Amino acid sequence: MQNKDRERAIVEVVSRIVNRSMEDSQLSTGTPLVQLLNDTIYQEKKRLKSRANSVTTKARNEDRQFWDKIQKALPHANDSKLKELLHDVSKRFVSEVVGNFNPKVYETSVKVLPVGLSLLLNALSPTRIIQNFPKVPSLENNILISGQAETLQRLAQKGTIMMVPTHLSNLDSPVIGWSIYKLGLPPFTYGAGLNLFSNPLLSFFMQNLGAYRVDRRKKAPIYKDILKEYAACCLEYGYHSLFFPGGTRSRSGMLERKLKKGLLGTAAVAYTNNLIRKKHNPKIFIVPCTLNYHLVLEAETLVEDYLKEAGKARYIIEDDEFSDIRRILQFVKGLGTLNSQIHVSLGQAFDPFGNRVDEDGESYDNRGRHIDISRYVMRDGVPTIDNQRDREYTNELSLKIAQEFSAQNMIMVTHLVAHVCFSMLERKNPSMDLYRLLHTGGDITHIMIMEVEQEIDRVMDQLIRLREAGEIRLEPWLAGRNGTQILDRALKFFKTYHTKNALERRGDRIVAGDMNLLYYYRNRLVGYVIDGHKVR
Amino acid sequence: MSNSQEFISVLGAGSWGSCLAHRIAIKGYPVTLWMRREEQAEEIRTTRRNSRYLGDYELHPGITPTTDLKEAAKAKIIVIAVPSKGFRATSRELGDYVKPDQILLSATKGIEPKTYLRMSQILKEETACLKIGVISGPNLALEVMQEHPTATIIASRFDEVVEAGMRIFNANLFRTYGSHDIVGVEMAGALKNVLAIASGMISGLGYGANTRAFLITRGLSELIRLGMHYDIDPMTMSGLAGVGDIFVTCSSEKSRNFRVGKSLGEGNTLEETLKAMNQVAEGVRTAQAAYDLAQKFGETLPIVEATYHILHKGLPLTQAQMLLLGRPMHYEHNPKRIIRDELPPK
Repeated sequence: MQNKDRERAIVEVVSRIVNRSMEDSQLSTGTPLVQLLNDTIYQEKKRLKSRANSVTTKARNEDRQFWDKIQKALPHANDSKLKELLHDVSKRFVSEVVGNFNPKVYETSVKVLPVGLSLLLNALSPTRIIQNFPKVPSLENNILISGQAETLQRLAQKGTIMMVPTHLSNLDSPVIGWSIYKLGLPPFTYGAGLNLFSNPLLSFFMQNLGAYRVDRRKKAPIYKDILKEYAACCLEYGYHSLFFPGGTRSRSGMLERKLKKGLLGTAAVAYTNNLIRKKHNPKIFIVPCTLNYHLVLEAETLVEDYLKEAGKARYIIEDDEFSDIRRILQFVKGLGTLNSQIHVSLGQAFDPFGNRVDEDGESYDNRGRHIDISRYVMRDGVPTIDNQRDREYTNELSLKIAQEFSAQNMIMVTHLVAHVCFSMLERKNPSMDLYRLLHTGGDITHIMIMEVEQEIDRVMDQLIRLREAGEIRLEPWLAGRNGTQILDRALKFFKTYHTKNALERRGDRIVAGDMNLLYYYRNRLVGYVIDGHKVR
Repeated sequence: MSNSQEFISVLGAGSWGSCLAHRIAIKGYPVTLWMRREEQAEEIRTTRRNSRYLGDYELHPGITPTTDLKEAAKAKIIVIAVPSKGFRATSRELGDYVKPDQILLSATKGIEPKTYLRMSQILKEETACLKIGVISGPNLALEVMQEHPTATIIASRFDEVVEAGMRIFNANLFRTYGSHDIVGVEMAGALKNVLAIASGMISGLGYGANTRAFLITRGLSELIRLGMHYDIDPMTMSGLAGVGDIFVTCSSEKSRNFRVGKSLGEGNTLEETLKAMNQVAEGVRTAQAAYDLAQKFGETLPIVEATYHILHKGLPLTQAQMLLLGRPMHYEHNPKRIIRDELPPK
């Protein structure tokens, strides 16, 4: 967000939050201001006590002083003082979210970003850099953008874009960042977890993607409201935005089928506010996209976390492969050797009510009839915000996005082979439930290569039918390949990067080197109907 | 900005559609009643009677009959009460005219064969509207016309729709209750018609109240089990749209589905029965959908299955009865816990 808008946004968000909290406190079902402030103080003090805290001592002391001051003032506060305290609290949170944004960096980042990312993603062994020197390595071969790219470019002229990608890895945001650059669009604003800012490598990209700071340790309800309101403000001011509607990286490797609706809901709010203010180009376009990798950098940590007993999984992971630059380089090098590509697949654009949008930004119903979408938010002819109504609209939108994710999900060679082998191992160990199979690897731990290859051919036929029905996408490399070639390539991938191989060849057999990883990669097919049954 | 006007439309001038228009008019709202046949519209216009469906009952003068769908589609709230068979076609036509700020309320009960969609889902597919709701409850059209006190449910995911629907209908003799469980209300409303046919058969066969109570309660548990696959709130099934509606359609001669069952119980064929009635019995179509869904989810629903086989596969009633009553013993709420029968010692 540019400096002029930044100040405006802080004022705007603070005033919306204060006004809404005041209104809410008057309702019989609402929260009194004293309670709201007390809750916030409690949550913040609890956070400051927690040991697992990456903030510096200085920042922590400053925070503590601030909350002590609020706490001291609270018992004697009359109504106007309460409002003032609420204002101070909101302003502190909002200012932190908006961050120290440097507009100069923002301008130049567009040029710097791709080169930096390019260097990162191209194999960084010294010999390769020297061989390529002085030519700047290109990303063209590493990241392939497919789908409705032209529509996206046109829509960016007609209104404001909310891009909603699937989320597997911390590499997702730089990959999207590059794709946006490649499409000739300005950087998108993006709410990034504080832990990404503390990663020296990524901090650079984060700032320049137009990222604002989200501290997921802050649990106070008012903080979450502020994040939503700021996100809405960004859209209203015409800043294209990026959200991961899955909320966090997929732990299981499964495609997101249930989405978080909080931030998605800002689309309807922003659109209505734009209509109320009679803004030029008021529309918000929601563009789902999928990011598809052969291997996922953090797969081992993520799936381990997923399989932990319920309740022990971590929402914020700070010590994964991503925090280790050597692992990142290994990963990138491995993919480089195999000429791996990251596929960014842009899907059908929707309006905030879940209707299909064409490249001119016009909405259409299921029968192809044009819709005047302003009518969705009209009450007695006047655009009106109605939270309950808008939540239902957002439900519709989230269903459509999830469907589009499913249709744009690209099955890579690694997913296909993992699915085939995992299913075969499940069938060979019929008495074992999932957790025992994962834990023990099964009584029968191998499968004959010949059988695997035949099974790959058979499943491929079904996937091709699904693709023809528009229900899924397949990695282009798979076209015309047979089971032998497919298995061979998948095994090469599984050998390159992870500490243990998901699958490996032993003579004329295939064995699982790491059941959890195998499970992680096969999970990309969960939810599709194969052999007459939904994969679970 | 808005071209939707301050009147309310009802689409479909069968007994229920006409009755609903009558109720809205009593509340004092101008109401347009749309139908396809001009003669019927003319009859209502000149005599205030809809003789084919409501006999001699006089309709409120606040009702304006029309055959012009485009005109009817300008209403702020549109109630759709056409038979489920023509529901999609009417919805699609309606979709040419309605705008997203209008409210659609379905009064039709049923599940579309093959797609297994509920009526509200068809409205969503065929129009750009999202503010959709349903009305359902223990409401026999003739009794509502006679002003026997009763109640109904207005269900929608949208508060705005629930509240608007309640306001246009609520009266001392026709109380309205709100619900967010639109899926539960629609499932109950559709599936209960299958039970009504089965219950009619019981009367036709000459059985009494014990047998009916047995059928209704076991049938209800089948409906709940099927509904749970759609994440419905089980409380909905025990409410007005569930037990309330089941109670009335399974016990009253005024229920069309009940009459179909009774006629079958008396030994007539389905063809003869339907020919003799000049109205639609939704349960015949719904039995097929309910049977298919039970198969799809792997649920054992003995009453639904037996009714389906009688209606669509020519299974003789006596045989169906034997199959139902000869099922193995099990715990009431756990059909999987089967008890083996044993012969007494000699």
